[in-house]
Amino acid sequence: MNPGNNSIVFHGDLQQLLKKVETGEMIPKLQASHAPMCKFFTSYYVISGIRHVVPLVHGPTGCPLYMSDFVRTRECCEIRGVPLEPTACTALNESNIIYGGEGKLLEAVKEAYAKYHPDLIVILSCCCSGIIGDDVESIAREAEKLVGCRVLALRSEGFGGDFRSGYEDAFKLIMDLMEPPKTKMKGTINILGARWGPTPTEFNWDMDEIERLLGEVGIKINAIIAGGCTVEQIRHAREVELNASWCFDWGQKLGDLMQERFGIPYSKTGQPYGPEATKEWLLGVATPLGMEAEAIKVIERELKEVKPEIEYLRKALSGKTAIIEISEFPGPIRALSLARMAAEFGVHPVVINVHPYTIKERMPSIKFLLESGVNPEIILTKGLFRLGSFRSSKETEDELEEIVKGYDNPIFFGNSGRFPPCPVVNLTLMNPAFQPQYGFRGIKNIAALVRQALENKDLPRSRLFRGMLYGTRTN
Amino acid sequence: MEQEPIKEPAAPLASSSENCTDPYLRCAFNGAALTALGISNSALLAHSPQGCEYLVNNAFASQECDYMETMTLCTKLCVDEIVHGGEDILARTIREVKDLPISALFVLSACGPEIVGDDIVGVCETLQPEVNFRLIPIECAGFRGSQYDGIDIALDTILKKLVKEDVEKIPNSVCLIAPHANANPTWPADLAWVKQVLSRMGVKVIATLTHRTPIAEIKNIASAEASLLLSHDAGQKAADYLSATYGIEQVCKGIPLPIGMTNTKRWLTALGERFNSLITAEEMVAEGERMVMATCRRKWPMARFLYRTPAAIVADATVGIPLVRFVTEEMEMTPELVALYTSQRPVRELLERELQTLGLNPKVVYGTDVYKTRKSLQEVRPQVVFGSTIERHASEGLSVAYVVEVVRMIRQFRMINREYFGYNGILNLLECVQNEWTMGWRSKEKRYGAKW
Repeated sequence: MNPGNNSIVFHGDLQQLLKKVETGEMIPKLQASHAPMCKFFTSYYVISGIRHVVPLVHGPTGCPLYMSDFVRTRECCEIRGVPLEPTACTALNESNIIYGGEGKLLEAVKEAYAKYHPDLIVILSCCCSGIIGDDVESIAREAEKLVGCRVLALRSEGFGGDFRSGYEDAFKLIMDLMEPPKTKMKGTINILGARWGPTPTEFNWDMDEIERLLGEVGIKINAIIAGGCTVEQIRHAREVELNASWCFDWGQKLGDLMQERFGIPYSKTGQPYGPEATKEWLLGVATPLGMEAEAIKVIERELKEVKPEIEYLRKALSGKTAIIEISEFPGPIRALSLARMAAEFGVHPVVINVHPYTIKERMPSIKFLLESGVNPEIILTKGLFRLGSFRSSKETEDELEEIVKGYDNPIFFGNSGRFPPCPVVNLTLMNPAFQPQYGFRGIKNIAALVRQALENKDLPRSRLFRGMLYGTRTN
Repeated sequence: MEQEPIKEPAAPLASSSENCTDPYLRCAFNGAALTALGISNSALLAHSPQGCEYLVNNAFASQECDYMETMTLCTKLCVDEIVHGGEDILARTIREVKDLPISALFVLSACGPEIVGDDIVGVCETLQPEVNFRLIPIECAGFRGSQYDGIDIALDTILKKLVKEDVEKIPNSVCLIAPHANANPTWPADLAWVKQVLSRMGVKVIATLTHRTPIAEIKNIASAEASLLLSHDAGQKAADYLSATYGIEQVCKGIPLPIGMTNTKRWLTALGERFNSLITAEEMVAEGERMVMATCRRKWPMARFLYRTPAAIVADATVGIPLVRFVTEEMEMTPELVALYTSQRPVRELLERELQTLGLNPKVVYGTDVYKTRKSLQEVRPQVVFGSTIERHASEGLSVAYVVEVVRMIRQFRMINREYFGYNGILNLLECVQNEWTMGWRSKEKRYGAKW
C-alpha cells in the first residue's frame, strides 16, 4: 500500500496496538469524542434477558426510558416475541435525593411484587442512588423477606464503569441464583453471554445456528444466559457439564467465574465465523462432553454441504486484500473474527479503525484472540480521533477511500454504509436476508454476500445514501 | 375564549404515594435537551456520564437535528469526577470545542454533577471570555422532574438569558411556545400547519420556542404581541413569564388544540377574533371542512362503521385531550377510557370540561404509567385503543380489535411528517384508523396452499 498516506496514525498489528492501549498511548485525549453505553445500560441488557424478571431501576425516570423504549418495546416486544414486561422505576425526585431513597425503594420492591408477580426482582442503582449512598444491597436483603421471590441488587451507576463492567457485574450477580447441583445433566451445556432476551423470531439468527449445530450433535442446552432463560434454568445452571459462549467477549467473564467458583469447565472459543472457527467451536464443546465422534460426523456432513461455497470463497478471495471495518455496529470482535476467516480463504486481512477505546474495554477478549493466533494488520486513521462521533464518519469515510486506493486487488468487508472504490461485502447484521453469519449456514450466506459484491462491483452506488451519510460533495 | 376553571375535578389525582412506576415520560434532562436542540447554529454539551448522552440522542432525533449541522458532546463523567468534582473536565471539554463555528453552546447538567455540586454556571461564566460563542448553562438534572419540567426549565433559562428588553412591539405578531411538547412523532408538521395558518391571517411569527430557531429570533421575542402555546403538557410557565415580563398576551388559552373539526374551528375562530381575521378564519374552516369531506367521499374510508364502539385514548394531554372530541364526534366512537401521561391541574380542568360538554363519563387516569394503562384496559375492555406501540403490546390477550398507533410509535415509520392539527390532520388520523382496520382484516393463516 501507499505508505505516504498522512491520515494514518497507527499501522501495525493487533499485538502492537494492544501494547499502545495498555500504556495509555492510544487512548483518545478528546473528552467529547466517542461515548458508548454506560454501565447501567449493559447491566439492564443482561438482566432483561431473564423471563419474568422485574428490573427495578432505583433512579429518576430518564434512566429506564431508553431501556423501556429500545430494549423492552422495540427489541423484545416487536422483534423477539416477548410479551410486554415491566421496566419499573422508583422515579427519584429532589426530595429523595436530599433525604435518601431507601424507604421508597423498599416499598417499591413490595409494590413491584404485588403488581407483577415476578420470579425475580433485580434492583438496578443509577447515578443518583449511587451518589447519595442508598444501600441497595441491604434493601434487597430486607425486601426479600417480605416478598415471594428472590430480590437482588446490582450497583450499576452509569459513572461507575464502562459498558463492559455493566454486563460483567450483571452476569456475576446472576451467579447468586445458581443453586448447588443436585444432579449432573449429561451432555448438557449453558450458553453464556446473551442479553436482551431470545433471538428475533423472524430471523435465522446466529444463536439459532449454534443451537441447530449442538442439536445435530445431540448436545442439550439448559439455559441461554441471559437470552430468554428462566430463573428455574439459572437455578440449575450448575448441573451442566460445560459452559460455552455464543460471543466470547460477552460470555468470558461468567464462564471464567463459573469455572473458578463451581469447577464447571468453560469452552474458550472465538466466534464461529468460517469453517475452521466453526469446527473449533463445535469440537470445543463436544470434546469435553465425550461427543467428539458425533461432532466430527456432523462437521463432515455440514462441510460437504457447504463445499461449493468454501471452494468459491477460496477461489474468489485468494490473493486479495480484505479491508475489514466494523467499527460501530456490530462490534470490533466480529471484525477480528472476520479477519481470521478471511485469512483462511487466502485473503490478506487489514482491520481498519478498531477504536482503541473498544480495545481497552475488551482487553480480555483481545488477549484471548491474540493467544489463539489472531493478530491481523491494523490501521487507525486520524478521523477516528476527531471530535464527535458522527462527523468523524465523514472523516473516516474519506480516509478509508484513500487507504483502499493504496492496495492492489482490495475487497471491503464491512457494511454498505461505506463507499470505497472496491467491491463491498455487506456484513451488517441489519439485513435479515443473509443471516446467520455464524456456523455452516453462515458460510453459505457469506459466500452469497461475497458473490454479490464481486459480481455487482460495477453497479452504481447510491448517491442518495452517500449524500445522506456524508453530505453532498462538490469535488 | 378563556373559560372558568372547574373547581372539583371529577376524577382523583394520581396517587402520590406510588413508589414503583413504569413511566411513559422521560426525565427533565431529556426535556431540556429537546428544548436546547431546537436552537439552530448551536451545540449541546451534556455534563454527564456517557449514558445520559442517549437521552440527548433521543432529543436530537425528536427535534429533527442534522448531524452535519448540530454537534452533541458529552463530558463522560466517571468515578473520579463524581468523587473529586467534574468542573475541571467540563472546562477542558469547553476549551476542546472552542473553535466550533456556532453561536451558542448549551451546557446541560445531569443528576450526577448536580448532586456533587458542580457549578456549571460558574464554569460557563469563567470560560465565556475564552470562546466566541455564547455559553448557556441549564441546570436540568433528571431528578428535577419529567421531560415537561425539563422543557419548562430550559425555556426559563433561555428566555432569562437571551431576551432583549429594549425592542418595539410588532403589530399582529406572535411567538409560538413548546411545539415540541407533543407526542405526535412528527410534531414539526403540526408546527408547520400553525405557521401556515398564521401566515394566511397575516400574523408574523417572531420566534418559536423551540424548533430550528435562530438565537436572534429569541432575542427579539419581547416584540411579539401575543403568544400561542402549542402544548397542553409544557410551556405554560414560559407563556406566563412572557405575559408578566413583556406584556405578551396568551391567545387560544384554555381551549383544546386544533385536532378534529370542532376543535380546529374553535381554535381558528379564537385566533381570527384576536387578530381581526375572523373572515379569513371562517374561510379556512369552510374550505378545510369541505376538503376533508370531499376527500373522504373520493377515498371512501371503510373504517367508518365504528359507531359507538368503546374506545380508549392513552396519550399525552396535547394529543389526548383533543382526540376525545375527534373520536366522539368525527369517528362516532365512545371513549370509555382516557389515560393521560400528565396530571397537572390545567390538564385536568381542560379534560373535565371537554367530557362535560360532550356528555361523556369515561374512566379517566391522570399521570398514567404502563401498569395503570394495562390494568385500565383490562377493566374497561375497549375495542379500539388510540395510543402507542406500548398499548399494542399492553392490549395483548384483551380482545382489543384495533390499536391505532398515533403517539410514540416504534413500529410505524414516516418519512414525511404528518400533522394531527387542522384539516389534513383529520385525514392523517383517519388514515391511521383505516390502516389499522385493514390490518385487522388481513388473513393470518391460509386455509389451503396454492398449487403453483
